[in-house]
Amino acid sequence: MKHFTKIAAAVALGTVMGTAAIAQELYTPNLAYRTGPFAATGIPLMNGQADYMALLNERDGGIGGIPVNAEECETGYSTEKGVECYEKTKGQAIVTQPWSTGITLQVLPKTNVDEIPILAPGYGFSPMADGKVFQWAFNVPSGYWDAADMIIQYLEQDGSLDGKKIAFLHLDHPYGKEPLPLLEKLAADKGFELLPIPVGLKEMQNQSAQWLQIRRERPDNVVMWGWGAMNAGAITEAVKTKFPMENMLGVWWAGHDADLRLVGDEGKGYKSISWSFPNPDAPVMQEVKEMVFDAGLSQSNEEEMGGVFYGRGLVMSMILAEGIKTAQDHFGEAQIDATHLRWGLENLNITEERLEELGMAGMVPPFSTSCANHTGHSGGWMLEWDGTKFVKVSDLLTPNVDAYADLIASASADYATANAPWAMNEECSATN
Amino acid sequence: MLYRTAGQFKTSYVADQALFPVKQDAFLLGVLLVLAWVIFPLTASEFTFQTLLIPILIYALAAMGLNILTGFAGQLSLGTGAFMGVGAYACYKMVTIFPEMNLIVALLLSGFFSAGIGVAFGIPSLRIKGFYLAIATLAAQFFLVWLFEKWSWLYNYNASGAIQVPNLEMFGTYVSGPQAASVTEYYIVLFVVTLLTMLCINFTRGNLGRTWKATRDMDIAAELIGINLMKSKLTAFAVSSYVVGVAGALYVFMWKGAAEPNVFDIPLSFQVLFIAIIGGLGSIMGNYLGAILIVGLPVVLNVVAGTQVFEMSNTAAIFLTALIAAATFLFWIARNMWGMGVAIAFGAVTLIYGYAQLQGFRIESALIEHVNVMIIGALIVFFLIIEPHGLNQLWRLIREKLIIWPFPH
Repeated sequence: MKHFTKIAAAVALGTVMGTAAIAQELYTPNLAYRTGPFAATGIPLMNGQADYMALLNERDGGIGGIPVNAEECETGYSTEKGVECYEKTKGQAIVTQPWSTGITLQVLPKTNVDEIPILAPGYGFSPMADGKVFQWAFNVPSGYWDAADMIIQYLEQDGSLDGKKIAFLHLDHPYGKEPLPLLEKLAADKGFELLPIPVGLKEMQNQSAQWLQIRRERPDNVVMWGWGAMNAGAITEAVKTKFPMENMLGVWWAGHDADLRLVGDEGKGYKSISWSFPNPDAPVMQEVKEMVFDAGLSQSNEEEMGGVFYGRGLVMSMILAEGIKTAQDHFGEAQIDATHLRWGLENLNITEERLEELGMAGMVPPFSTSCANHTGHSGGWMLEWDGTKFVKVSDLLTPNVDAYADLIASASADYATANAPWAMNEECSATN
Repeated sequence: MLYRTAGQFKTSYVADQALFPVKQDAFLLGVLLVLAWVIFPLTASEFTFQTLLIPILIYALAAMGLNILTGFAGQLSLGTGAFMGVGAYACYKMVTIFPEMNLIVALLLSGFFSAGIGVAFGIPSLRIKGFYLAIATLAAQFFLVWLFEKWSWLYNYNASGAIQVPNLEMFGTYVSGPQAASVTEYYIVLFVVTLLTMLCINFTRGNLGRTWKATRDMDIAAELIGINLMKSKLTAFAVSSYVVGVAGALYVFMWKGAAEPNVFDIPLSFQVLFIAIIGGLGSIMGNYLGAILIVGLPVVLNVVAGTQVFEMSNTAAIFLTALIAAATFLFWIARNMWGMGVAIAFGAVTLIYGYAQLQGFRIESALIEHVNVMIIGALIVFFLIIEPHGLNQLWRLIREKLIIWPFPH
């Protein structure tokens, strides 16, 4: 029984010491996935996010003088673990970053009741753009419908799409189905034929059936909505079947350097729309290198730090940090809570000048949000794989949001009815 | 001494056939019921409800359904996940078509849909057994998940292909959806699980249960003594799929809140099968023990790893200490030195970990996850080595020893 008296004694001692004053901090948990089937794509993003917060803590002592606690809660991309993490962190958290579309779908209705902002940069549910309905959800700076619209715009630059055939290779999962309503609408408007080709979660690594279909149908373009192992599978399969790479385009999650490095030169011409760009010459990269990486505070490595996903992680944390800062300036207090942060994220104004100040010029297009517009619709660039890295091949593309504002409104209204009673932001008078 | 059965005389057949002929068993069950019905709901936090209490009950119910089929009737099934899905989708369709329907009624009705599907896929069991039957149920697993993906009517043509639980009211309080309080959801789950557990205990003790067991032990012999194998096997499929279907409906409506088709894929079937095997095939209580080990323990370990060991709340500390003490004591009674060693080692490692934390030791959340998976895996192997017949059998042995304690034999 000696052991238990020891535990009891230790516990008693611990509780005495534990009552020491709790330091002020901004708790911004991240539901990370560094394990599981999607870890390869998760790790660079998580490292980017963590490193930017580490930089703020090192350089400025946090935001507004309060350190940021960007603790990670490991989900392994599993929905169950994600909900567990959400429940665990929601007590003190001022924001929740759910990461997978599955976790976002589960957490979204809960955040509306628990009143915690949900920050899903570049993923989640596209109708979240409607800030009046989704008052706690933010998918800045661009949503999936924006991505689909920009890809079609880019294709249109080479001439009308009328009569063309576009294959839509997507993960058969809420994430992959997300852009379908918009693509169907665009297909009807512009007269191209849309050919949706789903890839089941179990077939991600073996897509021979899908590529056989692509070979048979001979589409003019393949638009890919993949994630994790699906991207590498599709790209290697495309190379194997000699599909012309310049006719293959992906969403921003399908533009991971490591996937393309597998095929190297053969992948030349593959494109991916992106709202972020890794700019190794940006001042912020130097600072991260000196103050975080060289100080041994980072889990990243040199090669990864030059990649698209690491840079995107930095941008994501920058958006959150700017939201916190905006809220701090407005409410005049450094220790903000979830409601304050929501105001901050609703009133983001990331201008060229601000990006310059942050040392992030060229890493993300400028954008701003309002209470009605929770996405910002920043637009993005088309990136192309040149055999060793991604380079910009287009000017800034901006989505034509007005054309599908009705779609956003009706989808969000449907969501609110299905989840009635759904608390909405009635005070908001701004329009998109 | 602690579990003295001497002096408890049974003077009537009714007393002899009672569910719990030994007083201490009934008393222990009473304590557990009070804990589940009164103490936990009063003390548990939101986190405990959502990550421990509700999922453990639901998984235990699903495992109980599988156990009836595999443990009692001897028909191996790998389609549990899909049958849970049938229950969930049936419940979803019912509450969206008839929004005024009472949710508990809908939950209990949804089981009938999965029972029907279960019987249909159980028909091959009349001709094939063992691994071959497992393959036939595996076909059900693949087919049904494919159907959940392709048949858009099932998810009301939702663009994301997922089903989302609406906010449903019953007597003026929300019982499901994001507006529902965790404690309400817990009580509904507990009510349904208690009801179905009573049903299952009585089924397995009665005539039906005996025919199942006879079928399991030797089907030719069972046939020779006049048991209708077709009836026996198909009722097992029906009852099992009913329970599994209700568990599936609870899984989505009372816990997850939303589900996409791949949730019901084969990993879920395996998880439920593991719970049933580790808990003990052919037992009712084992399902609960298995669910605590497979579903509850990873969460507890994660929480322990994530908190400062020496700064945890008093209740948590007392609870943890009591748990380790009780486990050590019971293993000691059962003369199981390995078990004792592991229980004490667990306490010691926790203390060392806490000390290391005081020295500024931190581990990354990803590493915690890796270590957690390793510990759970090791524990599964460990329990199966010290007691291949599952946790239920382990408890049975401990109980036997408790009855004769302090004498060794």
